[in-house]
Amino acid sequence: MTGAVAERAAFCRRRAEELWHSGRHQEALGFARLAFDLQPRDEETVRFCAWLFSNGQDHAAAGAAYERLLALSPEWIEGHRHASGSFAMIGELERAIFHARQASDRDPLSGEFARHAGGLLEQAGRPAEAASYLARAAALSPGDGALLRRLSAALWAAGARDKAVALAWQAWRCDPGDRESAHHAAELLLRCGRCEEAALLLGETIRAHPADDAALRKLSAAEMLRADPAAALAAIDKALLLSPQTAEYHIHRAGLLRRLGDCAAAAEAYGRAAALDPSNGSLRRAQLAAYCDAGRLDEALSLGGELIRAAPDNREYAEGLRHALDRRLGAAEADRGALYAGLLRLPRRPRPPRTAGTALATQLRVLHALLIRETRTRFSEARIGYGWALLEPVLHILMLSLVFAVMMHGRPPIGRHFFIFYYTGIIPYHLFVHTSSGMSHAIASNGPLLQVPPVSTFDVVLARGLLELATDLVVAVILLAGFTALGLHAIPRDLGGVAAALLSVWLSACGFGFLNAVATAFWKGWDKIWAQITRILYFCSGIFYVPAAMPDRVRDILAWNPILQAVDWFRAGFFQGYDPHWLDRGYLVIAGLWVLLIGLALERRLRRRLYEPL
Amino acid sequence: MIALAGVSKSYRTRTGRKAVLDNVSIDFASGHNFGILGANGAGKSTLLRLLAGSELPDRGVIRRDVRVSFPLGFGGIFHGALSGREHIGFLARLYGAPIRATCEYVADFSELGEYFEMPVNTYSAGMRARLGFAACLAIDFDVFLVDEVIEIGDRRFRRKCAQAFRERMRRADIILATHNHETVRQYCDRGAILANGTLTPYDDIDTALRHYQSLSEGGGR
Repeated sequence: MTGAVAERAAFCRRRAEELWHSGRHQEALGFARLAFDLQPRDEETVRFCAWLFSNGQDHAAAGAAYERLLALSPEWIEGHRHASGSFAMIGELERAIFHARQASDRDPLSGEFARHAGGLLEQAGRPAEAASYLARAAALSPGDGALLRRLSAALWAAGARDKAVALAWQAWRCDPGDRESAHHAAELLLRCGRCEEAALLLGETIRAHPADDAALRKLSAAEMLRADPAAALAAIDKALLLSPQTAEYHIHRAGLLRRLGDCAAAAEAYGRAAALDPSNGSLRRAQLAAYCDAGRLDEALSLGGELIRAAPDNREYAEGLRHALDRRLGAAEADRGALYAGLLRLPRRPRPPRTAGTALATQLRVLHALLIRETRTRFSEARIGYGWALLEPVLHILMLSLVFAVMMHGRPPIGRHFFIFYYTGIIPYHLFVHTSSGMSHAIASNGPLLQVPPVSTFDVVLARGLLELATDLVVAVILLAGFTALGLHAIPRDLGGVAAALLSVWLSACGFGFLNAVATAFWKGWDKIWAQITRILYFCSGIFYVPAAMPDRVRDILAWNPILQAVDWFRAGFFQGYDPHWLDRGYLVIAGLWVLLIGLALERRLRRRLYEPL
Repeated sequence: MIALAGVSKSYRTRTGRKAVLDNVSIDFASGHNFGILGANGAGKSTLLRLLAGSELPDRGVIRRDVRVSFPLGFGGIFHGALSGREHIGFLARLYGAPIRATCEYVADFSELGEYFEMPVNTYSAGMRARLGFAACLAIDFDVFLVDEVIEIGDRRFRRKCAQAFRERMRRADIILATHNHETVRQYCDRGAILANGTLTPYDDIDTALRHYQSLSEGGGR
């Protein structure tokens, strides 16, 4: 039985051998499989089959055959190497590594075994183990630069950076003309930041291979790290001469130019890179920024628009475009952003402490400013302006003189001339009316001014009163000068009395003015009523007659009228011997002061509600 | 420092009195820039007028030991018949500033040219704003009150405004009423939120802004 099997197996082997040698490999493999199945424990048959499977590219079968052989003769170290090779070919990396380690561990003096095991472990991503086998191989052939480089790479990957760099140097020293070793060493040195050594090494490499553009690119990086951007630029320029189509070189060059501050050239370089590699987003973003920095805002905007159209959701592009727009609109973002941050504060200017004196000074300043302003705005609507202030009393005096000159047959009640007589009535009356009415409008007409903090309602009301006083005094003086020019004797006999009379009537007018200001603020129609009252007072104040002409009972009532008192006081200063018994100067002053006091108190009390700016 | 003690202020409206401040006590410490946050109609402008002294509170006391500006961005103090120069002269007299130097500064800053000598009612709105802004900057205030707008005019002029403000802020503080977060963040380091008659202070502007945001979102406005 066994004999027949052995015969058939031997036949199959022979047939397989013949077919193999005559080039019919597939048929040969078929017979070899038959033989293998017939005699799986026959060493000679299995060895033959393994050889044929291996050469016939049936690595799975070859691996199985080698393992069978190793089971039959465990001392056959080389069998592990063969099995490992076969398993590696079919991607069974773990089994391949197992056999490779068996081979190398059992024959540590074989450089090939160690190298093979190292290679498989590298492939499997186990650099630390790979490094130990590669180190074994390297110890056996110390002058092999390529092997040292592989060992260096494995060590680097395993994290032993210093050792890796030392070995990279050693690898390069074995054969300084080897570009691959040189690049490897330079790469590691650059990554370690050892740019001086990298530059040295790359310099030598470039001397040996002047057309090595990749070395020039690395040299440029080394020079940049050495903070020598000019040399870096020279190196990358040379690299670009050799290989002008490499987008990465252009990007690197653009980065260098930006660092050197040459934004225009950087934008140019980014442009060239973008033409070679249009799909690189971060490159386009950098190009946009460089255009901005170079001040080429048109191009920046058109590029930004193009990018945004292509990728509307890209935040970086949007940010870049916004920056370009801001630049175009002239808003220096940095300038605005830094407005508050890091502001250097200076000490505050000292203010003098507030005292009664400074308060008074402030009050006077405010009144002064308001008076000047009021002077200019008082009659701003009418073209006639201050002419009206003069015209009004003149018209009154002329009218009265005309009417009563006819009625009274040419003689005024006192004095010698109608003009003077009516003047003495009109001036105190107008002073009273102008002041009290003018002050009632002060708040309404100065509304916006009350927004200026130092200006209070008291200030604007009082300023208006002072303005009326000043205006009417000037008018009074001008009229007197006019009368004198006409040849009338018009100089008052008692200047002090005249002034006191006007001042007293002004005081009570001020009091009524404050009352009116308050009343008008609460009751808009009040100023109309006040206008009617002043018209009535025109007839009750002895302007165009003397109270002496009145019946006693009527005169006793009218004597309470402060204007009448003021008119008679005023006349007493003009006309010799005119000093009527009902004239009570004290009454006028006291009554004026009382009214003023009440007016001021009301204003003070209700100040918060006098003006609501809405 | 501007100190409010028990300050109340309300307005008559059609639906009754509306309280802008209800018994508010707060200190605006010197050396800090405050951002006052509040919805439209919360009374930010009224608060600024109270701080300025343009308006008086219904109750309570406002103490100032500093010189406070009139609310910036307010052009209503101008009388149409007066020229720019007359207005600036008035303000200079009012605050005791040198008249000629102040006028020169304003004429230069506002870029009004010969309009500076013309009546204000010949001005455009922009020119009025420039005049008001320059007037405010020309006077040596310790605290600037700003109502919404801190920069006016075209881009270039806005930058000039910001620059001038930066210069002023080395000595002076600002109190800024706005709901523009960006401006507040740029200028202010402290904040206060005005809502429903109360004024809540915050020592840190970011917290104030966050709080205000959640408040206005929560309030559905």
